[in-house]
Amino acid sequence: MPTDPRPASRPDLQIKIGGAAGFGIKAAGQTLARCFVQGGLHTFDLTEYPSLIRGGHNAYQVRVSPEPVVSHVLAIDILVALNQETIDLHHTELVDGGALVFDPKTAKLDGLPDQARVCAVPVPFDDIVKEAGGLPIMRNVAALGAVLGLAHYPLSYLTDSLRAQFAKKPPEVAEQNVAVATKGYEHGSSTTCAFPFRLDPLPDPPRAVLADGNEAVGLGALAAGIGMYCAYPMTPASSLLHFMAAHDREYGVVVKHTEDEIAAMNMVIGAAFGGARAMCATAGGGFSLMVEAFGLAGISESAVVVGVFTRAGPATGLPTWTEQSDLRFVLHAAQGEFPRVVLAPGDTTEAFELTWMAFNLADQLQTPVVLLGDTYLCDNRRSAPPFDLAAVTIDRGKLVADGDIRTHPEALGADGAYLRYKVGGDGVSVRALPGVTGATQVVNSYEHDEYGFGAQGEIASVRNAQNEKRMGKLELARTLVPPPKYYGASPDTADVSVIVFGTTKQPALQAIEWLERDGARVALMQIVTMWPFPTGEVAAFLDGTKRSLVIEGNFTGQLEGLIRQECLIAPRDHLRRWDGRPFNPEQIYDKLLEVSRRA
Amino acid sequence: MPDVKEFETANRPTWCPGCGNFGMWQALKQAYQEVGWSFEELAVVWGIGCHGNGADFTRCQGFHALHGRALPVATGLALSNPDLHVVVEMGDGDGYGIGLGHFAHACRRNIDVTVIVHDNQIYGLTTGQASPTTEQFMKTISTPDGVLEEPVNTLGLAIAEGATFVARGFSADPAHLTALMVAAMRHRGFAVVDVFQPCVTWNKLNTATWFRDRVYKVDETGHDPYDKNAAFALSLSTYHDLSCSPDECRLPIGVIYQEEGRATYGDGLPQLTGPLWRQALRPRDVSAAMGRLG
Repeated sequence: MPTDPRPASRPDLQIKIGGAAGFGIKAAGQTLARCFVQGGLHTFDLTEYPSLIRGGHNAYQVRVSPEPVVSHVLAIDILVALNQETIDLHHTELVDGGALVFDPKTAKLDGLPDQARVCAVPVPFDDIVKEAGGLPIMRNVAALGAVLGLAHYPLSYLTDSLRAQFAKKPPEVAEQNVAVATKGYEHGSSTTCAFPFRLDPLPDPPRAVLADGNEAVGLGALAAGIGMYCAYPMTPASSLLHFMAAHDREYGVVVKHTEDEIAAMNMVIGAAFGGARAMCATAGGGFSLMVEAFGLAGISESAVVVGVFTRAGPATGLPTWTEQSDLRFVLHAAQGEFPRVVLAPGDTTEAFELTWMAFNLADQLQTPVVLLGDTYLCDNRRSAPPFDLAAVTIDRGKLVADGDIRTHPEALGADGAYLRYKVGGDGVSVRALPGVTGATQVVNSYEHDEYGFGAQGEIASVRNAQNEKRMGKLELARTLVPPPKYYGASPDTADVSVIVFGTTKQPALQAIEWLERDGARVALMQIVTMWPFPTGEVAAFLDGTKRSLVIEGNFTGQLEGLIRQECLIAPRDHLRRWDGRPFNPEQIYDKLLEVSRRA
Repeated sequence: MPDVKEFETANRPTWCPGCGNFGMWQALKQAYQEVGWSFEELAVVWGIGCHGNGADFTRCQGFHALHGRALPVATGLALSNPDLHVVVEMGDGDGYGIGLGHFAHACRRNIDVTVIVHDNQIYGLTTGQASPTTEQFMKTISTPDGVLEEPVNTLGLAIAEGATFVARGFSADPAHLTALMVAAMRHRGFAVVDVFQPCVTWNKLNTATWFRDRVYKVDETGHDPYDKNAAFALSLSTYHDLSCSPDECRLPIGVIYQEEGRATYGDGLPQLTGPLWRQALRPRDVSAAMGRLG
């Protein structure tokens, strides 16, 4: 067990529910978070599950606090064990005095070496469910009741939620569940051991959105006016396909589950040619299949958005676990050279914002934009202030969607014909959609001339002009992409300067909050746009730092290498992991404390 | 309405003299004129292969896609703008080899796209390797001991997977081919015209003469293209061996299978009421969807 840097007397708790797949672990955890958020509290969930539908071990944890929660933590305050395995696997994560909720009929504490340090809360889940005449799956409801009882949080949030959840079923289903929850609550609230924490709802709860990263990306895409979404199922991107499919008719989107990822990416490119805002998303494995067409988007100057949501690889890898190992892959994917933009959201709020921004960047630059996420982002719900819908803008760049192209002289050649790939200016040509009068053209996977004809693409001067035009768009991109974000101390005065990308920002933010409290000054930089790389900003951040460190979820130090390559500066130290788990803030706290005390 | 000449660009075709692509190109331009779509309505997607060089010669709203991937690009394009008429040109290696999966699924979804296949039974642009429709046992540079696989039954596959218009043409009979192309373009749903197209450089077996001696028009034999079983039986009849005489090998050309009234993929999308670019004129109000989260 690492250090638990949380204050002993604290307002926040973390609850973990574990059991076999098929026990309703995820549903229970999500219900718990909903109860807290409806009471005005803040939550951060972490789900752990194997790539199985039944059997195997599932765990779902909810961190809850009256203050905004930026990350999960490692330490558990309440462990709910729906089977023995949960106790065996997770008891060491329990803090001293933490509660262990279990059914003595199905789980035993006998084997625990440190029984005395936990507050044992036996709750007869099985008997409660049987008494109520319910189904075995309802044991998770009894467990939820017990958790709320332990924390003395009003039961009504749970019973209201159950009644809403089962509103379409016969009324006795909801009432059975309510009876089970109530019994569980009685057991939890009347426990004989001293559980020191309680949770109280806020009197006037602010509005919040409880969303995971895929829901945030989906909302961002919808807000941006997406017309077509294509995908082939692959964890952790699948739930984005489900979200888009559930909203297709309501919002006028064509959502296509394609025969494979190759089709998804090519279909999106075809839809973009037709003028739709179009997106596909997948995990690294699916992106491997999309790569050739990703290059097609580059040379054909297609405005597409591609979600690449990393799970631990390679190949099938660890399907349901997280990693940050696809950074170099998306930076280099596809043969040849073409401009691309890679954005890495660090949390659900950024996932929403960067998604709608990605559509603007794709249109402004007429080139593919990657949203680089991971399982930790996609799968895990976090309560956040409602996403800023009013801030969403649509900028389609140099697009002519209807009318006659001849009224756009800047798009025409000396012969009066439309030039799809006209050279000049910032490298972005006027894009006339099929349907525009005079817009005959060839959008081409071959190198091509200004008309788009491949026959002339082999002429060296034509090749150079087109390649330079395309690559030149990166300079425009630099002026449009979101800059890095800075947190904590200024790098001039910091004891240690830390660089992260993507979701590692979340545990890092929690860690530096503790470190500040404990007197260590940490400067944190989150790189948001991975490409074009913010070389100047990173170099300035690292310049003159006493101790610098890169934290990233991969073996080879992909970001660290990129910093060396682009900035000619070597960060001094690093923290990496590749075991499928996200960084936890305790681990980052320990590392940074150690580094900050070095000479 | 544009006429035949208007479908030509300043680029002259670079196909080998005698290539079947010339006859197909003539027929296609003629078909475009007869169908009468405006330049604004017609969009063409090509795969990669000798046929794909037609992208340089054909004046239209065109997309020269990747090898084997013309169909998904065309599918995305067709769904993004229901006002367009989308035509795909692809090759046998392109469409039945690397792109076979897309072909089968495009048939299933009966998307309203017309596909013209340049089926010369050989890889032309990559210098003469065996294609998925090369005759079994034929020797090629990639199969010096002969092709071991059966050729893909292209027509049977299309019928089995749900294409609603399946025809076969012959590049050296442009009037007949034009009529097939026009019928395919006017058909509402997924229409395939597989075209026998001699490759004069690499395929010394399936020459124009070889085909002329063997093809016959199914409409002259009383074939009913609305009879699915008869159509499927006809698709099986195209198999033959390398040494078969013109009497033994009879190759049907014409409309093999046709079905009217089946719902297209787009018919299942009530949300698709016009070009999808109109969905991005202003930010969508997603407050309702956001309010339901959690």
